Amino acid sequence: MIRGGRSYVSTSPAFSNDAKRLLVCTGSTVSIFSTLTGLQVASLDGHTALVTSVIVVPASSPGSRILCYCWTSSLDGTICYWDFSVPEMIKKIDVHLPIFSMVIPTLLKTPADSERSSDLYAYISAQNINKSERPKPLIGQLRKFNLTKSFIGGITLKETQRPEIITVCPSGRFFGILSKNKLIIWKVPDKESDQAILKKIVLHHTKKFSVLAFHPSQRLVAAGDVTGRILIWRGFGNRTFGKPMKYDEDNPGVRGDDDAESCSTWHWHPTDINVIAFSSDGAYLYSGGTEGVLVVWQLDTGKKKFLPRIGSPLLYFVDSPDPTLASISCADNRILLLKMPYLGIMKSISGIKLPFYAPEAFKVMCAGYAFDRAGVVALRTEDFHVQIYSLLDDREISEVVVCERNHQPADEITVVVTLVTLSQDGSVMSTVEVRLPEEDIGGLTCLKFWTSTSQNNQFELSTVIYEPHRDSHVSSVAFRPNRPMAVTTSEICDFKLWVCNDGTHRKNELKPSSGWVCYAVGSYKRRPLTAAAFSGDGSVLAVAADTAITLWDPDRNELVGVLGNTLGPIKALSFIGQSEYIVAASGGPKSQLSVWNMSQFTISWSYMLQVEAVASDQNSSTFAVLALLPKSVIQSKETTFVGRDGIILLFDVKQPQPVASWSVTKAEGGGLAFVEANQLEDDISPGTRKHGLLAFINGQHEYVLFDPFNDQELVEHSVLVRKSPAAEETVYAGYASLYGELPEFDWKKNQKAASEVVIMPSERPWETIFSGSSHTLPPLTKLCGAFLEALLQKRPAAVEKS
Amino acid sequence: MEETFVSKTFPLKPKLKPTSKTSSKTPESRYWSSFKTHETPNLISSVPSITFSGVAPHPFAAAYSASLSLFSPQTLERTHTINSFRDVVSSASFRCDGSLIAASDLSGLIQVFDVKTRTPLRKLRSHTRPVRFVKYPFLDKLHLLSGGDDGIVKYWDVAGENVILDLKGHKDYVRCGDCSPVSSDSFVTGSYDHAVKLWDVRVGDGNRAVMELNHGNPIEDVLFLPSGGLVASAGGNSVKVWDLIGGGKLLYSMESHNKTVTSICIGRIGKEIGDEWMQYRILSVGLDGYMKVFDYANLKVTHSMRYPAPLLSVAFSPDSKVRVIGTSNGIIYAGKRKVKEGAEESSAVGGFLGLGSFSEQPKSRALRPSFYRYFHRGQSVKPSKGDFLVMQAKKVKLAEHDKFLKKFRHREALVSALGKNNPENVVAVVEELVARRKLLKCISNLDLEELGQLLMFLHKYCTVPRHSALLMGLVKKVIDMRAEDIRNSDKLKGLIRNVKSTVQEEILIQQGLQEIQGIISPLLKMAGRR
Repeated sequence: MIRGGRSYVSTSPAFSNDAKRLLVCTGSTVSIFSTLTGLQVASLDGHTALVTSVIVVPASSPGSRILCYCWTSSLDGTICYWDFSVPEMIKKIDVHLPIFSMVIPTLLKTPADSERSSDLYAYISAQNINKSERPKPLIGQLRKFNLTKSFIGGITLKETQRPEIITVCPSGRFFGILSKNKLIIWKVPDKESDQAILKKIVLHHTKKFSVLAFHPSQRLVAAGDVTGRILIWRGFGNRTFGKPMKYDEDNPGVRGDDDAESCSTWHWHPTDINVIAFSSDGAYLYSGGTEGVLVVWQLDTGKKKFLPRIGSPLLYFVDSPDPTLASISCADNRILLLKMPYLGIMKSISGIKLPFYAPEAFKVMCAGYAFDRAGVVALRTEDFHVQIYSLLDDREISEVVVCERNHQPADEITVVVTLVTLSQDGSVMSTVEVRLPEEDIGGLTCLKFWTSTSQNNQFELSTVIYEPHRDSHVSSVAFRPNRPMAVTTSEICDFKLWVCNDGTHRKNELKPSSGWVCYAVGSYKRRPLTAAAFSGDGSVLAVAADTAITLWDPDRNELVGVLGNTLGPIKALSFIGQSEYIVAASGGPKSQLSVWNMSQFTISWSYMLQVEAVASDQNSSTFAVLALLPKSVIQSKETTFVGRDGIILLFDVKQPQPVASWSVTKAEGGGLAFVEANQLEDDISPGTRKHGLLAFINGQHEYVLFDPFNDQELVEHSVLVRKSPAAEETVYAGYASLYGELPEFDWKKNQKAASEVVIMPSERPWETIFSGSSHTLPPLTKLCGAFLEALLQKRPAAVEKS
Repeated sequence: MEETFVSKTFPLKPKLKPTSKTSSKTPESRYWSSFKTHETPNLISSVPSITFSGVAPHPFAAAYSASLSLFSPQTLERTHTINSFRDVVSSASFRCDGSLIAASDLSGLIQVFDVKTRTPLRKLRSHTRPVRFVKYPFLDKLHLLSGGDDGIVKYWDVAGENVILDLKGHKDYVRCGDCSPVSSDSFVTGSYDHAVKLWDVRVGDGNRAVMELNHGNPIEDVLFLPSGGLVASAGGNSVKVWDLIGGGKLLYSMESHNKTVTSICIGRIGKEIGDEWMQYRILSVGLDGYMKVFDYANLKVTHSMRYPAPLLSVAFSPDSKVRVIGTSNGIIYAGKRKVKEGAEESSAVGGFLGLGSFSEQPKSRALRPSFYRYFHRGQSVKPSKGDFLVMQAKKVKLAEHDKFLKKFRHREALVSALGKNNPENVVAVVEELVARRKLLKCISNLDLEELGQLLMFLHKYCTVPRHSALLMGLVKKVIDMRAEDIRNSDKLKGLIRNVKSTVQEEILIQQGLQEIQGIISPLLKMAGRR
């Protein structure tokens, strides 16, 4: 059983201390990616619900940089402490409250700031599950938690309507939350104890806040609101937190009696702001929002620099300990690693694309997913792409630009890829894109055929067909197995068969013209055609004409037979393997699942089910159905279906009793397919297996692959982590690029001439030495001493080599 | 490497056009359409005959009405006109040295003129009916051949103005004839009695032809092919190629004209005279207005061109630079091919001296880093083999409207596209505006002058089938939204009137097409039933 397709952008990621690893919360696990290769190297499994925050224990000294410890909090009410280099769990603390956000300010304080108290305290934002007697329940709670002794401190700092996200100052002195149009900031007490009183201030604004950030060194806080304004308060909390000095000065821009020296507003973003972050030296402010542009503000002057056309709303910006590296999380489940001073995109870590919410007019036209037999799924994305995603590797293979248009994330959606279909061997793909008309002008439907050049699933455009069915949209596309032929059906009562002429038979042409051309057109009684399917050997074409199923000979384009009537218009058709049966799913008020016998032209059996997807196994007579549970069942709170809204039923065609069933969540908009997984053959069951794996993808694009016939062993096989050691090449920057990394200086060891650490400078220091601005280099005072030491060290190393 | 991850800017692209399968031009059809056509209009009546002089620079003569005009091959303009005819001139022929020209008219008179002075030197009077063709034999300066409606082919002694031979084999009007390129004694004639006859003056009996070929249609033109062994005859809708050496065997019948083929001539394809690539073609013109190029070696029509009028005569200059076609309504289409000056010169030089290359071209020395010029090489220098190439990411070229669209300045984008005179781009901008939901706002923001531009564009293109679905909707919206402005401006009113007339024309066309469809569909039904 393989699970995958989880969101990488549910919470902000975290860099390890050496900036070579990126810890990303993916569902109930934390995935660790290499920042050099962008591939997953490990994962932390242990939580049972969504992980909501991950905090890497910062290195207190340069020597402890290699330490890899982190804290995680989860909705299952636990906080875990990990060593993620191994990876293993060290400690698990049960809080008994679902934690939505956690900060540990003490970790961030440098030892010089305050002597470490013995206990470690975390501030958690949790959901109060007990209180419900008040008319307006305040279910969010902000509490203090003693991690060392693992009990909740007495104080509840604040109760809110929803659990809020806590933001902490990089120096660990303040933390704050947003509450509608208020900003609440607490000062972390210098001496932490269970009963320490926290002082707080409140800053007001007229609009709803969306994000906040603290300056790393100064007493300065920036917050973004939903209208795109950035507010910056300087010297906040001087009265409350600091020594009261001057009272009579006027505070420009500060609202009411708020405790701040001044407040200034910047406005560039047209829509709400999701990202605000200060650079680690505090000279720049990064901001980003729905429009997908990262803006770099020079804090003193307000001058702007842009990283435009990221193509998707930005969600989080995280700076790494390495000054040349940062990451942006985008709403399309993508994490971009940035080369910092000049904002170049180095790597992109792409998860499965999340579903997008198309306008109502598109809803009827859109259809889910395209699977091929090898476990590859093609998904439609919001920015007119098709993502080719490997279910077995849980990794993006490629992305195909269907419509060459500049996507503006904030705009209304008017162009959508509505259908995507893969042929069974995955070599041909067809897409349908629709442009909605503006007041009846300029609508367009466009059918495109793509061919994959080789095994690497890079699709190239083969044919473009504008308006394949005049002004009607295409209701379905199906490929014929073993033959380059496809069928498209439309609501205006006709279907077209397309064939690919590969231009081999034409000798005299200078350029062989290869492309898809219309081969035949058919219609049945002027009824709208809604679905089509080819039989497993490609000899029969079934086209659903409203409530009837028509069978055709695709070569001669002749009507072979008609199968009776269903109760509603048919949504999906599927031939069942090698058998003589065909299964039809019809919609409408009386939705129905019906199985038809093609040799006798009769209905075999049927159920009243609201079917979301049908998949049949090619080699046997079984098929699987994803059905939505009726409302009454969901509302009845039956114990078997808590939180579940769908069910997967596995049928054998001979009898109407299901062979097996599984209840699932978020079934609406889900997809189902049988895939052949030869790669995993020896992993799961060494015996010869006749059936394929069943892949289920839910409405949130999380998926699971399992063997439907021996569900007893639902052993979780984690996704194969493909390590590529060759790619794990270290790249040095700044000082290290010239002289290699400094070793832990050990005088005694050094006196023994044979030092084990051979330091050689990286081969081409001139490539990277000037790659950063001067502030990324170590300060000269530090550099000088280290420089001399390195010179001393170099000689024995070189001698040893010779 | 880094650029691959950044999402790119896509410039706006117009919709793809379907490429037809024959769109790729063969080198041959490119050659034939490289003759830039020059029209000489307003000749009084049809042009039944065009002939080229055999010596450089190959001037040509065209007969029309009762006059004969000489044309310059360089300018393709009329240089002189001979008017001393009493009736319509039917045919003309240059002598092989190009100094004399013989012309016949419908009164039965044949006159021989000096080309330089245009004075009539000889008048040959023997035909009692209109003369249809007159021809100087190949490399023979003394004799002349003629035929006419009296059915007699006459062989003349020009100097003495008397007939040497009367060949009385034809039973109907003799319309055409040609002399063999290999022998000055034999020639063919064609007649309305469907027969092509091969004559030889050495055969004493004047009434028996050496060979007789039955074309099957009244013959309009007949031609010796350059080898001298083949003869092409044109009549009816067909051009037939005959093998004389093989005893008059029919080799091929080319039947791609829809109406009577009126004239044929020899065309050459190839670079220069004497080039091994030189190939001969038969150019044929017909009353259907088509000129066809027939490759009689491969028995294939290689090119076809349409002219707006029925064509009566065609001629091709011996240096393959000029092609002249005469029509029935008094227009001469003279086409001239551009020849590279260098090629011409070298052939002339080679012809003169009989030598290949006598002077060696000064070779440009390779640039080395020690030269001053090395550092001024410029962008166009080709990299040498050992050079390390630094590849630059290709820059996306953005048009002006793209730049405006990038800045969300939609109205400016539309106006900029309208100003550029490329309808595909305008449609692409309109489609993009639709996708951005900004088209209607854009229309309402246009000022009067820009609205005029838009209406002008719509007037021109709203009925083009590719765009009509979009643009007709746009026309309606523009009229709806800007009715007030249009009413207040006379200029805009005029433009709207133009649009209206375009639409009405289109409606008429559509009605006509529907009528045709109504006529055809029962026929198709019946054909399908069988």
